This record gives sequence, C-alpha cells and structure tokens, in this order.
Amino acid sequence: MQPITRFLCISTLAATSSLTLASTADTEARQQWHEAIAGGYQALTVETRELSDAARNYCQAPTEKSRTLVESAWLDAFVAWQRVRFVDFGPIETDNLAWQFQFWPDPKNLVARKAGYLLDNDSTITPSVIRESGVAVQGFPMMEYLLFDQEMNTGNNSLPAPHTCELLTNVALHAATNSQTLTDQWSAFKAHYIENELYRDTTIRAGMAALEILEERRLARPMGLSGNGKRNPYITDAWRSGKSLATVEATVIGLQQLYLPGLTLLLESKEETGLANRIRNQFAEVQDNFPGARMPMTAALEADDQYRTLQGLYVDISQLTSLVNDEAAVAIGVVRGFNSSDGD
Amino acid sequence: MPQNRRAFLKTTAASSLAVCLTGCSLLPRKATGQPEHYAGAIGLPDGRFGVSAFNRSGDILWQAPVESRCHSGCNRPDHSELLIFERRPGWSFYVFDASTGDRKHHVKAEPGEHFVGHGVFSPDGRWLYVTASRYEPGEGIVAVYDAHRNYQRADTFDLAGVGPHELTLHPDGETLVIGLGGILTHPDYDRLKLNLDTMQPALLLMNRRSGDIVGRFQPDHHQQSARHVNVGGNGRVYVAYQYQGPRYETPPLLARLEDGKLREYRFDQDTQKALANYIASVVAHPENDLVAAASPVGGTIVVFRGSTGELVSRASIPDCAGVQALTGGDFLVSSGRGRLVQVGAGKPAREIATLPVYWDHHLV
Repeated sequence: MQPITRFLCISTLAATSSLTLASTADTEARQQWHEAIAGGYQALTVETRELSDAARNYCQAPTEKSRTLVESAWLDAFVAWQRVRFVDFGPIETDNLAWQFQFWPDPKNLVARKAGYLLDNDSTITPSVIRESGVAVQGFPMMEYLLFDQEMNTGNNSLPAPHTCELLTNVALHAATNSQTLTDQWSAFKAHYIENELYRDTTIRAGMAALEILEERRLARPMGLSGNGKRNPYITDAWRSGKSLATVEATVIGLQQLYLPGLTLLLESKEETGLANRIRNQFAEVQDNFPGARMPMTAALEADDQYRTLQGLYVDISQLTSLVNDEAAVAIGVVRGFNSSDGD
Repeated sequence: MPQNRRAFLKTTAASSLAVCLTGCSLLPRKATGQPEHYAGAIGLPDGRFGVSAFNRSGDILWQAPVESRCHSGCNRPDHSELLIFERRPGWSFYVFDASTGDRKHHVKAEPGEHFVGHGVFSPDGRWLYVTASRYEPGEGIVAVYDAHRNYQRADTFDLAGVGPHELTLHPDGETLVIGLGGILTHPDYDRLKLNLDTMQPALLLMNRRSGDIVGRFQPDHHQQSARHVNVGGNGRVYVAYQYQGPRYETPPLLARLEDGKLREYRFDQDTQKALANYIASVVAHPENDLVAAASPVGGTIVVFRGSTGELVSRASIPDCAGVQALTGGDFLVSSGRGRLVQVGAGKPAREIATLPVYWDHHLV
C-alpha cells in the first residue's frame, strides 16, 4: 500500500463509527430531497401544462378574460420554476434544460432580438422551429416578452397577432414538454441519487449557489450595492412583468420547502439543532418581508420608502445566506470550491 | 504606485504574513528551470482578483490586482516578464515585471475575439502564442503576438475547430501542442455549452511558424473535452479531458499520444469516480516517468506512471487545480483553499504552506 493510501486508511478506521451515523442521516436527507424536488417538478409540470392550455385558448379566442388567464398562468408556472430553480444537478443538466426554462442574464437583450427575428420572418413557427432556435427562445423570458413587454404590446406584432400566437403557444408547449421530461427523468434518477453519497454535497452546494445568486445578482446588483454601483432594475429576472421580487419570494419558498428539511435533518444529526432552528427562523424573517416587498423592481428602486423595504429584504436574505453558506456548510463540512465550480 | 494597487497590497499584506513553509526546508526549484519563483492567478475572500508570486521560502514576493478573474499564464524566456491571461471569455492579458509585480502591458483582445486563459512563448521569448476564439462564427484560433513590438498582433492561425484551451510548446521548439475542447460557447450566453451533441474535441499539433496543423487526434468519445495538455522531457504528449456526459459514466480522463493515437488511461473505478470526470491540470515530470493530474471537482490529485498507467499516488486535496513539477521528482499542487502541497511517488502528501487566497487554476 502506498503511504498516502495507508495514512488515509488509518484516518478512515478512526472515524468509522461516526461515519455510520452520518451515512444514515445522509441517505435520509437524500431521500427527503428527492421526494421534495419530485413534488416541485410535478408542480412545474402541472403549471406549464396549464400555461400551454391557457396560451392556446387565448390564441383561439382572444378576449380580455383569456388574456388575463394566460398572464396569470405564466406567473404561476414561472413561480413553480423559481421554486425548483436551485436544483442545478441531475436531469436538469441535460440539454441545458435550466437555460431552456430561463435564459438569464440577458445583457444583450437577445430575447427581444430573437423574437424580432422570428416574428419578422414569414415562415410558420412550429415546435421544431422552437427546438432549433436556442435557449433565448425556449422559455419563460420569451413568453414574458410577448405577454408583458410594453414596446411589443404596442407594435404591429402584438398579441394576438397570429404569428406571435404561434410563437407563444409553441414556446409554452416546449416548456410543458420539457417539464414532463424533467419530472420523468428525476423519477428515473432516484436510485442513483440516493445511492450516491456525492449528491449530499452537490445538493447542499446547489442551495448555497442559489442563495448567493439571490443575494448578489438578483438583489445587490440591481440595487447598485455591487457591480458598477448604479441602480438598474433591468438586470434582474422578470422585470418586464414587474415580478422580479415575487420571483425572489418564490425562490425563497422553494428553498424553504424543498431544500431546508434535508439540510436541517443533517444539521440535527450533527447535534446542530440550534443552528437548524436559526436557519428556520431566518427563512421566516425573510418571508415576513412579503407581501410588502412584492413590488416591481423599478418601483422599489425609485421611491425611498419602497427602497427601504427592499433593503430590509436584502439584509434578511444576506443573513440567511451567511447562515447557510458559512455556518451550516462548515458544520456539515461542505465547501464550495473556487476552482471546482469554475468549469475550465 | 496606482491607488488601486496600493489598496490591494494594503489589504493583502496581513495575509502575506500567513504564508509559512511547514518545516525548515526550502521548496525545491521548478523542474522546468527559471524563474525560481512561483506565480498564479488568485481570488481574494472579498471578491477581488489578483496575481500572486511567492519564492522558495514561501514568502510572498508581490501581489498585484487585476480587473477580472484570471486563469493561467506563462513566463517569457530570458526576460523577467510574467504573463497572466483572463479567464474565459478573456478580454485581455497582462504582462507583469516578474520580480516586482509592476504591470508593464495590458493587451486587449481584438474585436470579435476573446482569449481562453492560456498562452506560451517561442523559445527565444519573442513570439507569444495565445489560444482564442472568434466568437461569432465560433472558430478556434491561435493568436500570435510579437513581444519585441510591445505585444502587437503579428499573426493568426486557424484551428479548424471550436473551443481551444491550453497550449504548450513541444521540446522540439517548433510544435505547438493544443487542447481543442470542442465546446462551442458565446459570451452572450454566459458559459453555456452550446453543442454538447456535436462536439469534436481533439489534441492538435501545429507548426508554430507556418500555423499548419500537423496532427489532429480525437478522443474515443466525442464528449471527452480535451482541454489541458503537457509534454514530458522525453517529448511524450499528454492530454487531460473534462467529460461532458452524465456523471454516472466514468470514461478515461487522461491520454498519451502514442503511435499516432491517443492511448487512454483508466484507473480503478474508485479513483475514476474520485476524479469526477474533470481534470484541471496535467503535468508530466521532466525528470522521470511520473505524471500528475488534479481534479478540483473531485478534490483529488493523482500521480501515475506515463509508461504503464500505474497509479502511484492519490491524495484528497479539496479544490486542487494547479500543478508544477519540482526538481527531485515531486510535484507542487495548489488549491482554491490556499494550500500548497507537495506530492510524489512513494511518500505522503506534504503540506507546504497555506495562504488566505484562492489559488486559481494553474501554477506558473
């Protein structure tokens, strides 16, 4: 045996008994997470199917009521996506599915440019056109653009123009099909996920990354607290529908419902019940900001009192991020690598 | 001294003191020769990025700030210049005085192009070869710069493929060895991989004067992205892959060019799993038959014999990525958690030093 291996073996023997306990908790946590995420994916499947139906109904019989229905169906489906958005491993990695659901960030406004290209072209927009058109076309931001963008809604191509309806209904169908695929593949992934111990850290890191993105890219940057220091509502997601902060709420609820139970199970198995409770309480603190903070980002950045509400939300999310990414991660022994998360 | 550099040094001065060699001995010299010091791109806990150089005593020689995260670099032969390239998509590279850390040049990418993090010099230190991408058509290129003329662009060599990454110079002094990852990306789409079904990765050999491709060798599987390359003292060419298929598959991740083909190395299943389908650096030791490869995703470093593929060492080093060959036959490994560890055959991994910086991918 090589010396390095021998050293590792000695360390391993010393830790065997505690490892057995940890391993049981790890498996339980993965079972917990798998089931919770399955529920999240199932909800996404239901909501995207309803969105697809609502888009078709609206385009077949465009009325004020059917328009309202498709807009609210879009929001329901997008919220369902926000709740599972933290999952960045497993079947969602196949075919860039996460990007297909939500192409973001979009600093070059590719969504609008791609829509313009497709709508100015006379060719029929079919499901295969959507499949071939790339991630900027295939998901929620494209549908949001067609439904909510002010310029789009006052132009020649505004809904329910037939060509625009073709685009909307086929994108909605694409998202619904992807959701069903994701649900099926997540189910098939179960045994591999539960048996493979590496997925404990992968899952914990997924939540950590989601919190970091939430704090830094979805709040601090648009608020002008980082980056170039300027307030900018247009770099966050769902700004066209004015739902940026509602989607923040959805992400937090998703983490609380689908991620937190497995995390606290692990913490409690390591006798970190106090920390587990502090994290639970902090999730509640974040949620206490709503519905007050459920406003368009543009409004939140313009008026002082609303900005203060936003600041309150930001502080609470920062504290939550710190509890999970620093304290819980250290307690469980998970580190997000500088190089391992880089991809080169 | 520019204000930002002063501020950077001020806030990192305390951390510099934290470096310490474990034990009393000096770190061995680099097996590849001069310069005596080591350098690498770094991240700092406060989110800023820089470049750091340290000597064989483990003392920080200098730290310099950079505008965005960097990846790897190269030393200019017979000149005290260290070049560091921005991380993909890299919009510039930096030329530092290797002794002081003073910035001498900041060279921007040509319009429509971005760098990918790596470059290498001709033996006389005049011509700099940099892997790059023309991102609209998605064409991989080698951009050639003339160091005698303040790093003006001198030539462009097409690679007839997408996603070049690391390149190095063969000991013959004439042949560039290039890892063509095969993955199409575009700066508008973040780091999204746009062609996983149709990738065509390859190990390329290119005549550095004419730009002619004199060899193109494809891995067994089209999703074995051939990113990193190295050449041993005996001229043996090694390539390391990052597999783009599902995690439950564990294909070979390392290969050596033999008889016009890539001979792929496969370790035991436990080791394959520990490498997590991702190698960030491969270095063939110039003094012996050993090859080291680091996986930050798996937190694992392996050392194996190039001739037989026999695994001689494996150690767990979280977030390890940078590797340098040391005189005497060992390797120095850096990690994103600030650690510097010496590894070799037949001995335990030895912690050399720890710094409160994140060592980025490659040690230079």
